[in-house]
Amino acid sequence: MLVRFWGTRGSLPTPISSVEIREKIVGALLAADGRRFNDADEAAAFVEGDLAFPIGNTYGGNSSCVELDLGEDEFMVFDMGSGLRPLGIDALRRFGEGRAKTFNIFMSHLHWDHIMGFPFFTPAFIPGVKLNFFGGHDQIEHALRRQQEKISFPVPLDFMNAEMTFTVLEPGEIHEINGCRVEVIKQYHDNDSYGYRVERGGKTFVYSTDSEHKGDDLEAENAFVEFFRDADLVIFDTMYSLGDSITMKEDWGHSSGLIAVDFCHRAEAKRLAMFHHEPLYDDKTLHGLLEETQRYEELMRGEHALEILCAADGLEVRL
Amino acid sequence: MEWTSKARGNALVVRPTGAIDHDSAEAFQENLTAALEQLTETDGPLVIDFSGVDYMSSVGLRVLMRVSKTAKTKSVQLAVANLNETMVEIFQISRFDKLFPLHDSVDAAIAG
Repeated sequence: MLVRFWGTRGSLPTPISSVEIREKIVGALLAADGRRFNDADEAAAFVEGDLAFPIGNTYGGNSSCVELDLGEDEFMVFDMGSGLRPLGIDALRRFGEGRAKTFNIFMSHLHWDHIMGFPFFTPAFIPGVKLNFFGGHDQIEHALRRQQEKISFPVPLDFMNAEMTFTVLEPGEIHEINGCRVEVIKQYHDNDSYGYRVERGGKTFVYSTDSEHKGDDLEAENAFVEFFRDADLVIFDTMYSLGDSITMKEDWGHSSGLIAVDFCHRAEAKRLAMFHHEPLYDDKTLHGLLEETQRYEELMRGEHALEILCAADGLEVRL
Repeated sequence: MEWTSKARGNALVVRPTGAIDHDSAEAFQENLTAALEQLTETDGPLVIDFSGVDYMSSVGLRVLMRVSKTAKTKSVQLAVANLNETMVEIFQISRFDKLFPLHDSVDAAIAG
């Protein structure tokens, strides 16, 4: 199981600015401290090995889209934010290598930042491609059609040549999809959202974004802990600080890294990926939040240690 | 969770002990709510003396915020005091230090 992040930003795609790029170059030059590089490989090795992540990289700016790559099998995709566009382009390359032209696409919900990549998803225009949509909502097709009505987009859904199916998944039931055991949980978000737990070959992947956990229903929180139980990776909405999420951004439908750590500790999950990054946060801020969340994990750790990473566009995690 | 409650003039000082996490959050909330019910807007603050608390997880922090909102509707001040180093760090990471002044002593909390 290989998890590939194509879009990790929340709410709105957030391209990196020239100011931020300049800051990174300045940071790299200062870190090099006059060092000379004989060739591009040596310079690349320095960037890879010596620079702090927010100087040598970016957490990226596409909105939510995650791929669970099962190797030769059909594609498994979670949400269709703007990250779906580069996934579509890469899928064309993989078609050329003989990869099955079927996509199983799991929707957390139908807010704009989670569907906006679909009109630019090249495989959807190719005859012979099959798109199987799954979700807790029964309005997936309606949301996609509406997004591509003439007033918003020049190409209607019916112009796309791929065969499409739409299946509602009931929370609490076990679904067998593409050789995987898939479970669904209903989450607290405007017009609801749904989280997914996927098990295959002894590995467990959890995708739980756009979910607020107010803490006023401990039984409901226990259900999430069980949903995360023993997961190899939990992808969790850590958009806000805990303070913000329960004060000025209460009822905005998002959560924080501290809640993620507590759930994962109790569930004895192995890894946590911070996800759905706030568009206001630059790479430095996101990296600071990662370090603070790691420190909180250390402070709260019992017998079970949790590895924490901050999801970035292009990041791959093997389970 | 052990819990003591003591009047100090118009103020009420409560002192939880141990860890405030998933196992003790409900008791923390019940005790705080009961303490709050004893106070009216003419009383002094409800001071939580955290000197006996080792650490508090996100569920405890969320309880604290909920009780703080209830206190506001009753026009009762809620203050926190005597946090150990770990608790100060947790308040900073969660940004709760922006929401609650961290008093060094119960006296300072009562004085506001």
